[in-house]
Amino acid sequence: MNGFDWNSLGIVFALAGAAAAALLAGIGSAIGVGMTGEAAAGVVTEDPQAFGKVLIMQLLPGTQGIYGLLIAFITLTKIGILGDAVSLSLEQGLLYFAACLPMAFVGLWSAKCQARAAVAGISLIAKRQDQMGKAMIFAAMVETYAILALLISILSIMGIK
Amino acid sequence: MAVLPMQRITIYGMKKNRKAILEALQRRGVVDVTEIENDAFQKIDTSQSRAIFSKRITAAESAMEILKSYAPEKSGMLSAFEGRKDLAVDSYYSYVDDSDKIMQAINDVNNLSKAISEHKAGIIRREAQIESLKPWLSLDVPMSGKGSKYTASFAGVFSEDRTLESILADYGNALEKSGLSGDEYAVDIETVSRSPEQTCVFVVCLKKNADSIEEVLRSIGFAKPAFSPNTEASVLKKTLEEEIKSEQAEIAAKESKIVSYAQMRDKFKFTVDYYIMRVEKYEILGRIGQLGRTFVLMGYIPKKIASAFEAEITHKYDVAVEIDEVGEEETPPVLLSNNGFAQPVETVLATYAMPGKGEIDPTFVMSLFYYFLFGLMLSDAVYGLVMVLGCAFLLAKFKSMEPGMKKTMKMFLYCGISTTFWGVMFGGYCGDAIDVAATTFFGVTLPEGGHIIPPLWFEPVREPMRMLMFAFLIGIIHIFAGLGMKFYQCVKDGKFLDAVFDVVFWYLLVGGGIVYLLAMPTFKDMTGLSFTLPAVFGKAAVICVVIGAIGIVLTDGRSSKNWGVRLGKGLYGLYNVTGYLSDILSYSRLLALGLATGVIAQVFNQMGAMAGSGVVGAIVFILVFVVGHTLNLAINALGAYVHTNRLQFVEFFGKFYEGGGTEYKPFSGDTKFFKIKEDL
Repeated sequence: MNGFDWNSLGIVFALAGAAAAALLAGIGSAIGVGMTGEAAAGVVTEDPQAFGKVLIMQLLPGTQGIYGLLIAFITLTKIGILGDAVSLSLEQGLLYFAACLPMAFVGLWSAKCQARAAVAGISLIAKRQDQMGKAMIFAAMVETYAILALLISILSIMGIK
Repeated sequence: MAVLPMQRITIYGMKKNRKAILEALQRRGVVDVTEIENDAFQKIDTSQSRAIFSKRITAAESAMEILKSYAPEKSGMLSAFEGRKDLAVDSYYSYVDDSDKIMQAINDVNNLSKAISEHKAGIIRREAQIESLKPWLSLDVPMSGKGSKYTASFAGVFSEDRTLESILADYGNALEKSGLSGDEYAVDIETVSRSPEQTCVFVVCLKKNADSIEEVLRSIGFAKPAFSPNTEASVLKKTLEEEIKSEQAEIAAKESKIVSYAQMRDKFKFTVDYYIMRVEKYEILGRIGQLGRTFVLMGYIPKKIASAFEAEITHKYDVAVEIDEVGEEETPPVLLSNNGFAQPVETVLATYAMPGKGEIDPTFVMSLFYYFLFGLMLSDAVYGLVMVLGCAFLLAKFKSMEPGMKKTMKMFLYCGISTTFWGVMFGGYCGDAIDVAATTFFGVTLPEGGHIIPPLWFEPVREPMRMLMFAFLIGIIHIFAGLGMKFYQCVKDGKFLDAVFDVVFWYLLVGGGIVYLLAMPTFKDMTGLSFTLPAVFGKAAVICVVIGAIGIVLTDGRSSKNWGVRLGKGLYGLYNVTGYLSDILSYSRLLALGLATGVIAQVFNQMGAMAGSGVVGAIVFILVFVVGHTLNLAINALGAYVHTNRLQFVEFFGKFYEGGGTEYKPFSGDTKFFKIKEDL
């Protein structure tokens, strides 16, 4: 491996991080929105009036995917895949990779868990439509951790010199 | 910002006027009727009547559903905002007089629809019969005839495509095997039709041996068809087709009859409302007490309209009315009264809980933070303007919008104003749409980090740390406001010591801690703040923290007499300081959600600009712009709404608000289509 430029791997790791953020958080949200969609459709068969309410509940676990997209996008801009090219060392590439991980993993897991809370909330709405505010808060509690992960990922990516 | 004081109202009247009085109360809609719990009075069990009424509601609703499928009602896209129509009392009574006739029409529609589905089933059945007759159409005698004096004839099916020769050969072999022989067992088989799945045959044989011949035929795969009529297939097919035609004519006639009921749609709607009101009335009827020829009704009424209402009702009806102050042991229902600015967020408060007995109404303070936080999370001037214009348009267009919907619209209008404000502060106009459009299409070159319209304050995307500190500051103010509310509540209840123990000590501890951090140079380096407090503040802060901490340890467990338990509880109470830490950190979502709006908007702008300048580029940009920003606004407005609620419910209410009151629900018509209201 004489003369191999290890720094050429920097961009590879950075892109892998961006991809992981979009990938895992996206998968989590897809699973979550799918689960809540099934539950929501069940409620609408009985009561079409509840559509607006259960639709909002369905969307709740969808935000992780968007956060993942956001992290991926900032990373792509910072590492020069979008916009002006930048030269990246191996160390920087690994830093970007690490910075993307909180969003990737917390995004995946919290979307699934949030979806379960939202499904329970949807069945609550099915029985008592006036309790929607509370049903929403239960699911939103889970999202807090996705937001915290987003925050750490953003701050890390912005902070990498 | 207040919970309206309630008074207890008791109405005594004659039984013969009961119906009229109840109806008047219902249309007036101001008394929250409570159940009379006194064994001296008789109660009426109304559950049976209510069940009947509910059945009628279902019938009327299903009739309306049927009408909708045959004669759709024209309604605009925004009809959901329209609210209920007004119905004058006169037309209310003329409808009531008609109610039997309307009910007849409703049953008629339901029966017609049932008949139509029966006709449709008939058509399907006949079509299936025609289908099964198809292979037999070339047979010119009935499939199951009586035969002649000596012969029997029957139709049958072999399950594969068979030639006549193979059938006859098989028959001969089978006959031999069963030990029968001779001319008496001869058969004449005619192939009626053949297909890869089946061979249809017609068999003629001697009548006396017909059964055993059929038996033998069965052993080689013969089966009688499921449907074998005793008329010729082609004749029967014609008859069936005629019947289908007449069924279709029936359906058409019944459909047009249903359509002719379309002009009664309003009456059907009225029927739904009428029985909804009756169900409610009978529920109330079950709550009132009766004694001989009189009845008693008890309930709550807001103090400010109580005496006016008393005058009205005693003037019009022969009743005695008593208005009393609410007793100590009672918990009256809660009705909030707020100014136009705070009123819209009452709906948000109601989704959490109404104030419990003696609790203050936090709506006004909450509304200040609500609009502020919502705007901070969405923070885009264009999105804010879209919200403002959209809500203002709907509010102006639909004057008779339902009160709940109106409040929500107003709430988003104010949230939109705040969103616009923060958008201007942070320089968000559909993200960086103006900059992207200018550089892509108009050849403007901007310096690194430059903007056509620079932010009035700073750009969170470029200075996230600064924004984070601002978010924490807002959080501290919000949480301290919550503690302040608790202080006010304690003072109002005359619990001055509690105010000191539960609020002032925490102010000292948490506030002191924050000041101490601000006086630390390392904290300044970490957060990039532009100042450090002088060291004197730090020393003073330490004293405050110590006083607060000691105070909490000594007083937090004051409900226990035992000093050991008390100190233990106090130490545990002190541990709550971690709760304050996580509460403050929770406001980092202000940064995260604000960034989410801005960065996703930037993503869409960049995607739109990818097709370059030129006409095609412009078209692509506009398409991506419209779709992308609509999506972004929808998702982030939802996010801002949900998380503003969370910050209010968990971080803010957690400090002082318990709730637990029941909402004031006056006895009125909770109707779906019409508003029937009169002043007595």
